[in-house]
Amino acid sequence: MMNLKISALEFVEEAKNGNVSVEEFIGKTLERINDVDDKLHAFLSINDKAIDQARDIDKRIKSGEKVGACFGMPISIKDNMCIKDSKTTCASKMLENFVAPYDATVISKLKKQDAIFIGKTNMDEFAMGLSTEFSAFGPSKNPWNIEHVPGGSSGGSAVSVSSYECIASLGSDTGGSVRNPASFCSTVGYKPTYGLISRYGLISYANSIEQIGPLTRTVKDTAFMLNLIAGIDPNDSTTVNNNNEDYLANIDSGIEGKKIGIITEMIGDGIDPEVMAATKEAISKLEGLGAICEEVSLEMVKYSVAAYYTITATEAGSNLARYDNLRYGYDLPVEGYEFNSYISKARKNFGPEVTRRMIIGGFVPSAGHAGKYFLKAMKVKSKLTKEINEAFKKFDLLIAPTVPILPFKIGEKIDDPVSLFLVDINTVTANLTGKPAISIPFKIVNGLPIGIQLLANSMNDKLLLQAAHALEQTVTLPEVPI
Amino acid sequence: MVTVEEIEHVSKLMKIDVDDHSEYLEKVQTMISYFDILDSAGVESEEISMPEIPIEELRHDEHIPFGEKLIEKMNHYKGTYVRAPKM
Repeated sequence: MMNLKISALEFVEEAKNGNVSVEEFIGKTLERINDVDDKLHAFLSINDKAIDQARDIDKRIKSGEKVGACFGMPISIKDNMCIKDSKTTCASKMLENFVAPYDATVISKLKKQDAIFIGKTNMDEFAMGLSTEFSAFGPSKNPWNIEHVPGGSSGGSAVSVSSYECIASLGSDTGGSVRNPASFCSTVGYKPTYGLISRYGLISYANSIEQIGPLTRTVKDTAFMLNLIAGIDPNDSTTVNNNNEDYLANIDSGIEGKKIGIITEMIGDGIDPEVMAATKEAISKLEGLGAICEEVSLEMVKYSVAAYYTITATEAGSNLARYDNLRYGYDLPVEGYEFNSYISKARKNFGPEVTRRMIIGGFVPSAGHAGKYFLKAMKVKSKLTKEINEAFKKFDLLIAPTVPILPFKIGEKIDDPVSLFLVDINTVTANLTGKPAISIPFKIVNGLPIGIQLLANSMNDKLLLQAAHALEQTVTLPEVPI
Repeated sequence: MVTVEEIEHVSKLMKIDVDDHSEYLEKVQTMISYFDILDSAGVESEEISMPEIPIEELRHDEHIPFGEKLIEKMNHYKGTYVRAPKM
């Protein structure tokens, strides 16, 4: 019986040694998707060439030809990253038929390593949301309890990894969009230092803070993925040189003597008692491993969600201006329309959440309002960055629950935007300050997952992964019940 | 407080055809009202820091041939031109 539950590193080892046929593994993975995805809706499209690609890799393994580090590992990709000649919809009617003419940098890097892109995953439309309920093609469901949201916006990615429909996935994280669904679905979710992974070929939402990040079964798998996709890219001027850091090497260094700050503003009002208890347990486990944990205050966290939504709506308003139905969009005949009304009519195909954010994105930076909203938001961002930099003078790492509440029911918060905003309170800080952060699966309470978040200073991604691996080793979790 | 007229104005500027602007009023108002919390952040004297990238670190400003005629992928490509609505 083929074990689809193995980690990326286990798969690579088995495939490399010929103990696993890549074709058979991919075939079983597709069967699994066929069996469970009607219920879960993790995928928006499936790669119909996956079996052929697997067969080719098997042939090359057998003949002793050079094979890339992924050895045909099935990886799912959030549907806002371009794969040449494949649909990239951003879960939007606006891009329903858009076929990408080029590969994103992360895709070309993984192609070189013989990854197999098993399919494109569901998400909130244009990544605007945190529950995957705002997908134009219907919500994804949490495999731990299908009445609950899987988190978002990379919800399909988290569901696909958690429910064994692939081994790893790439999502994008603008305010927690990798870590939040990772926490809700019990997978590892990573938001790297800003600039560590190229955004070339990622459909832009809020360029100044978003990053691509892996979702995996283990922290080691995340380090493995990061080794493959991190690094400078001439096509993205915001990328940083990581000097080909090996994130997997010495990952089991432990955290003895490391100082960890507990962010008080992230364990305050509104936190679910079960999440609080899990956080205390995680802190106690880290102390048991030799870390020194103390509370630290980041006062600007209180204002971070308002700053985050102000900045992202503004950037989104600008980014989404390109969807004029001439360069992208659905097939609306041009006859009988005046230019502006044609564009407005075509843009009616944005969903309600995207429309709301575009209206806000036009309002908050506009003359007469910019001083009250956008400039203040930028100042909060600056002050928060100063505060966290100050904290990292004293601490090696920071800790907080990834999300202050348990996965909520589908539809429960959809009509209450502020209540939805506040789900992001613990994740947006890493984006606004550019720091790396990771969500580690920690506990299952009443059948629903809780993730713990660790943050590190910029470019300390390796230390962060070492700490996350140490915490992960203290945890044994049940299998997903699907 | 955001008004229906402001939503109408902004959606026109953002080129979005909205049938019923009042439909968006409540949620947009709720969102914008929440942003008022920024007033109590006490950041008036804070300087905005922006990342700076020296121009020599940017890639050369040169044409990189794509290899395919992207124009042919446009919805209304007519062989030698793209049909657009009249101005």
